[in-house]
Order: sequence, then C-alpha cells, then structure tokens
Amino acid sequence: MKNTDSNELIIANKALAFQNAEKVKREAELIIANKELDFQNAEKKDRAAELIIANKELIFQNEEKERRAAELIIANKELLFQNGEKERRAAELIIANKELAFQNKEKEKRAKELIIANKGLKKAEDDIRKLNDELEQKVIERTSQLEFVNKELESFSYSVSHDLRAPIRAINGYTRIIVEDYADKIDADGAKILQAIINNSKKMGELIDDLLAFSKLGRKRVSLSEINMFDLVQSVREELLFGAGKNMPKFKIAKLLPAMGDQSLIKQVWINLISNAIKYSQYKTKTTIEIDAHQMANFVIYKIKDEGAGFDMEYYDKLFGVFQRLHAQDEFEGTGIGLAIVQKIINRHNGTVWAKSKLNEGTCFYFSLPSINTKS
Amino acid sequence: MNYDNVEILFVEDSLDDAVLTIRALTKSGFTNKLHHVTDGAEALDFIYCRGNYINRKIKDYPKLILLDLKMPKVSGIQVLEKVKSDPDFNSVPVVMLTSSNESPDIEKCYALGANSYIVKPVDSDKFFHAIKEIGMYWMILSQAAH
Repeated sequence: MKNTDSNELIIANKALAFQNAEKVKREAELIIANKELDFQNAEKKDRAAELIIANKELIFQNEEKERRAAELIIANKELLFQNGEKERRAAELIIANKELAFQNKEKEKRAKELIIANKGLKKAEDDIRKLNDELEQKVIERTSQLEFVNKELESFSYSVSHDLRAPIRAINGYTRIIVEDYADKIDADGAKILQAIINNSKKMGELIDDLLAFSKLGRKRVSLSEINMFDLVQSVREELLFGAGKNMPKFKIAKLLPAMGDQSLIKQVWINLISNAIKYSQYKTKTTIEIDAHQMANFVIYKIKDEGAGFDMEYYDKLFGVFQRLHAQDEFEGTGIGLAIVQKIINRHNGTVWAKSKLNEGTCFYFSLPSINTKS
Repeated sequence: MNYDNVEILFVEDSLDDAVLTIRALTKSGFTNKLHHVTDGAEALDFIYCRGNYINRKIKDYPKLILLDLKMPKVSGIQVLEKVKSDPDFNSVPVVMLTSSNESPDIEKCYALGANSYIVKPVDSDKFFHAIKEIGMYWMILSQAAH
C-alpha cells in the first residue's frame, strides 16, 4: 500500500507539478490576456471618449441642423411671401403692361395725328411764308410806285407853282398897268372891277403858295431837338405883335414845359395858332389869349385859348381840312391852309391836335408833342 | 443895234414877265441901259460876243445879269455855271429869277455862285419892291467893284 500511495503521490505530484506548470502557463496566458484586456479596455475607453466626442459632435450637428431647419422654415416662409409678392407684382405688371400697350397705341395714334397736324402746320407756315414774300414784294412794288407818284407829285407841284403862277402874275401885273397908266380913261366902277381882278389874282397866288408849302411839309425831314417852348412862344408872340394895330388881345403865357420837336416846324405851328387866335379875336375888345402846358404820360399837351369868334362844333370835322374854312372870307381873311399845316406838322411828330369851341365865346386848341424824356 | 455900254443883261423867256420886270425896273428909277434876251444861248452869245453879237466888245461886260432859271434850250443854271466858272466874268453879279421858292434848283444856284435870287411874286407891288431892292443892291455893289 505505501507504493501505491507513493505512486499515487508521485503521480499526484506530477499531476500537481503539471497542474502548477499549467497554472503558471495559464497565469502567463492570463497576464497576457489581462494585458490584452487592459489594452482592450484602454482601447474601449479611448473609443468611449471618442464616442462621447463624436456624440457631442452629433448633438451639436443635430442642433445646427435643427437651427438650420428653423431658419429654412423662416426662409421658406419668406420665399413663399416673396413669391406671393412677385405674383402680385406680376399681375400688376400685366395690368400695367396692358395699360402701357394701350397708351402706346394712343401715342401712336396721337403721333399720327401730330404728323398730320405738323404737315398742316408746315403747309400753313409755307403758305404764310409765301404770303409774306408776296406781301413784301407788294410792299416793295407799292413803295416804288409811291416813290414814283411822290416824284410825279413833286414835279407836278413844281410845274403848278411855275406854270400857274406865271399867267396869274401876268394878269395881276397887266391889270395894275391899266390902273396906273390909264387911270384917266377909267371910271370909278371900272377901277373897282380892276382892283377886284388884282385882289383875286393875288389871292390865287397865295392859295398856290400855301398849297405848295403844305405839300412840301410832307417831304421835309423832321429833325428833332429839345425845344425851349416858352422862349419860342414868346418870340413868335413878339414877331406877330410887331407893328400890330390897336385892340390886341392880352397874352397870358404860363411857364411852358419843353418838348422834342423840329424847331422851325413847331415855330410854324405857333405862328399859325397864335395868329389865328389874334385874328378871330379882332372884333372883340379886351380879350385874353391864354397859353399853357401840362405833362400827360410821355407827351406834353400845349393849350392855346382865345375869347374870339369861336366856331360851331357841328363842323369840327372840317376844321383841319385843306382850304376848309368855317368863316366867310369877308369876315376873317385866310386861305384855309393854316390848321391843315398845323395838323400835318403835329402828326409828323407823332402828336395829335384837337380843339374845343363855342360860337361867339372862343376856341381852345390843344396839341401834343413827345416830352424830352422820350427821346426816340 | 448898238450893244455898247449895256449895264443890265436881262435873260427872260416869258415876254409877259419881261414886260413887267422892265416896267418894275424903269419905275424903280433904273435908267441903266438894259438888254433883254429870251434864252440862255443868246445870253451866252451876248456875253462871249458871238453870233448876233460878234461886233460887241468882250471887255464891255454888263454890271448885272438878271437871269431867269427856267428857259428853253440853254437853262439859267447852265448860263450861271458858265459865267461863274469863267475868271473873266465871275465877278459880274448874277441875280436869278425864279417862279417859286419850290424850285429844287435854288440851292444849286447858290452852290454855283449866284449872288441872289428873286421869287417873282404874283402881287406886282411886291414884284416891284423885290426887283428894286435886289437890283439896286447889286448894281451899287457892282459899280463899287469896278
């Protein structure tokens, strides 16, 4: 029994030794395995950490996505809204386009109308231009005709003055020879008749001279200068009163404003008006002739008032006519040219002459001349 | 006919005007020897001793020429121009006679050297006066000059 036991022990030992060796081996393997496990654990830890990071990343990305999604929703809503706007605008544009198209058609229509109207205008313009040209041509023709007629008139005036005056001069002169040389052969009636011939031929000479002076006025150049009217009127008055008889009217001459005019022509106006005033006052005693002036706009209005015979305003339109007389020759002498000359001179100064009168009470003549501030 | 010592040469185509002018001169006391010619050509013949006046002495020139403006053939203007441009005669006073002061030739007459002009008035009284005054003035002046 002991052998067996020993055997068994040996075997047991051996088994033990083996088992130990196995254990060591297993231990070594375990260590390795542990190590492996450790490594794997470490790996797992690493991975876990990585996963955590990845998860965090995912969470962040998810949040981002959500945010973007929310933004997209807003953006979509915005887009939808904008689309709606666009559609509305498009609809409006369509309407506007239709309106424009209509307006364009209208415009085309108007343009056509305008073209037609322009053509009409152009034609009218051409017509006017043609008419103007024709008018201008006519004016040129008429002017040359007028110049011709004026020249004719001038030579007519000259021959009237020359040719008419010669026979009248002969009539007057020969009659006077009869009166002077044959006085003893002629009785009182005959002498009276001869004197009438002398007077009438003389009168005709005056008429011709007046007519010529009047026609000459139209051709005379008007040279304007400043006229000291007070001095001019005074000198005319003195000239007319020089050698005058009794019963002369009293003169009341105010301070007269100056005016623009042709000195010699305006002097003639005053001579005619003042001598008229004196002439028509001759049958009255103690009369006054008043002369004054006042400014009216660009004109000076001169006034000469007498207390003489006056005239009937019914015949006013004859007052300024050539050879028109409102009084009988026997009553007041004159050829009837004086006022016609006055009117012609004043008209040539762009002025006006007019009169107011009452029979037997007197006459007032007015005439206007450009004042000195209106130098043209 | 004797043309010696003619003092007034009177050039006038109108016989009526001539009669009246000569009468005016006579009545105004002009006893000077006057010769009347009826147109400008004859006036120049007289002055230059030609034609009918060939025997006249040229130095014996008139003291006054009364010259009508408007005449046939040679006009008063032409006679005036000739006389006043001739140094031998330009000292002879020339008085122009015209029918009216409308005449456009009056200024021309003065420019050519006329000494005066008389407008022949219709009124014979005035005519006498004009002839007398103007005639007298120039005759006296002319006599003083010679």
